[in-house]
Amino acid sequence: MSTTKAAPAKTTTAQIKALAEGIRKAVETGVAVKPIRDALSERDLDAAYAIQRVNTQYWVKQGRRLVGRKIGLTSKSVQTQLGVDQPDYGMLYADMALCDGDEVPLSRVMQPKVEGEVALVLERDLDAEHITISELISAVAYVVPAIEIVGSRIENWNIKIQDTIADNASSGLFVLGNEPRKLAGLDLRLCGMVMERRGDQISLGAGAACLGNPLNAAVWLARTMVAVGAPLKAGDVLMTGALGPMGTVAPGDVIEVRIAGLGSVRTAFGA
Amino acid sequence: MSDLQSLAVTLDNAAQNAQAIAQLSHAEQFSMADAYEIQKRSIALRVARGAKRVGMKMGFTSRAKMIQMGLFDMIWGRLTADMVLEDGAPMPFKKYVHPRVEPEIAFLLKKPLIGSITPMQALAAVEAIAPAMEVIDSRYANFKFALNDVVADNASSSGFVTGPWNSPTLDFSNLGLVMSFNGRPVQIGSTAGILGHPLRSLVAAARFAEEAGEPLEAGWIVMAGGATAAEALKPGTWVEMEMQSLGRVAFNVAA
Repeated sequence: MSTTKAAPAKTTTAQIKALAEGIRKAVETGVAVKPIRDALSERDLDAAYAIQRVNTQYWVKQGRRLVGRKIGLTSKSVQTQLGVDQPDYGMLYADMALCDGDEVPLSRVMQPKVEGEVALVLERDLDAEHITISELISAVAYVVPAIEIVGSRIENWNIKIQDTIADNASSGLFVLGNEPRKLAGLDLRLCGMVMERRGDQISLGAGAACLGNPLNAAVWLARTMVAVGAPLKAGDVLMTGALGPMGTVAPGDVIEVRIAGLGSVRTAFGA
Repeated sequence: MSDLQSLAVTLDNAAQNAQAIAQLSHAEQFSMADAYEIQKRSIALRVARGAKRVGMKMGFTSRAKMIQMGLFDMIWGRLTADMVLEDGAPMPFKKYVHPRVEPEIAFLLKKPLIGSITPMQALAAVEAIAPAMEVIDSRYANFKFALNDVVADNASSSGFVTGPWNSPTLDFSNLGLVMSFNGRPVQIGSTAGILGHPLRSLVAAARFAEEAGEPLEAGWIVMAGGATAAEALKPGTWVEMEMQSLGRVAFNVAA
């Protein structure tokens, strides 16, 4: 045990502010930063979320409007890859929302990648302690298929869980389908997902790849948000997590996601 | 060089005794046409013992796998009645060398099919579709083989199980699926993993049927090919595969 490197002392408020500023600077300049995990005490997810929170407060003050949350690290393979056993969350802002079919400059997101997901929109607040699955189901207004354009402000996507949490869960933009479906009659566990890039399959999966069911992921998020004092509200969009592997994109690509029972959604990438 | 008949006997014995053998291609040179002839003769030995021909299986139907293996076409094998496993019943592990399982979709034909056909003609010949699993079990040591080896070995096919039969009128191009061992998901995917649309596999099967001079017959089953990677089986495993809208199929790997 003598060879084990001692964990750094608890990360200070000043350090957290500095690291948060570093990420904001990366967003502004388009130049990625080095991983920040080494500056945090071992496994210190609280400090990572504190960094995210500093930036959330900063951006909200700047006028960005919060419209929902995203859940990340929902697949077993990604959790294994990052050595974690839990998902994470990030903030969705109104300026990140695209319409079905919109063209988006590739440069709007740093190191963009794409994922096919199920998005839920709430019609009730979820502010009770330990939200149950039935409460979650009752709170869902409608479901749409979605593309998440994730990105990373960390160099070469060299991330561990602390890096992605601090970096708003590697969020970028999100594209929602516009044919809302009711939950009743939908099988979100077995729904098939195909993502195509200019007609070539680049990702396949099903609802079960997202913590067993996208609704399970949503319950985790609802409980976590209550625990941190920022409960989900009516109208919030929940990006519940990828149903298959991430895909890469290049200028000129068109990405289409089809989820059986939910329909399809697409976006085009400009230079 | 050994004649094709003796190679067919070698493979038939390996399958009967669940005994792995060395790759035929290590000792012999044979073409793909020879490989299909060996397969035909080896299955004929089985049929001569009383196992009826019940259909066709397609292999290498995943585009990713084809590209990965540098292949440009699928391969196929023959299904016989002694390969049928019963839904929910035990699967005798000892009858296999090193079995693996993969999730598939099965077509039940109501009309014969042969030759170059359109997807619409293929669909018009389908009586029903079912969630299915195929047990693949290469007769070669360590599951290692060249393309002609695996073709001669009936495309590794050794067992199959079908679940509830459904109308083919529903859109089965992108049905989600979960295959689990003892309740834990081991493969998650979609029928879109089969050539982008499983019907393309049936179109290809009709083309292969013509090459072989053996029409696909009414009442036959065509196994469309793996929708995901295969998983190795171990005794004491309850294997289940659920497919969106079509239902569940399962078997128990006995000791």
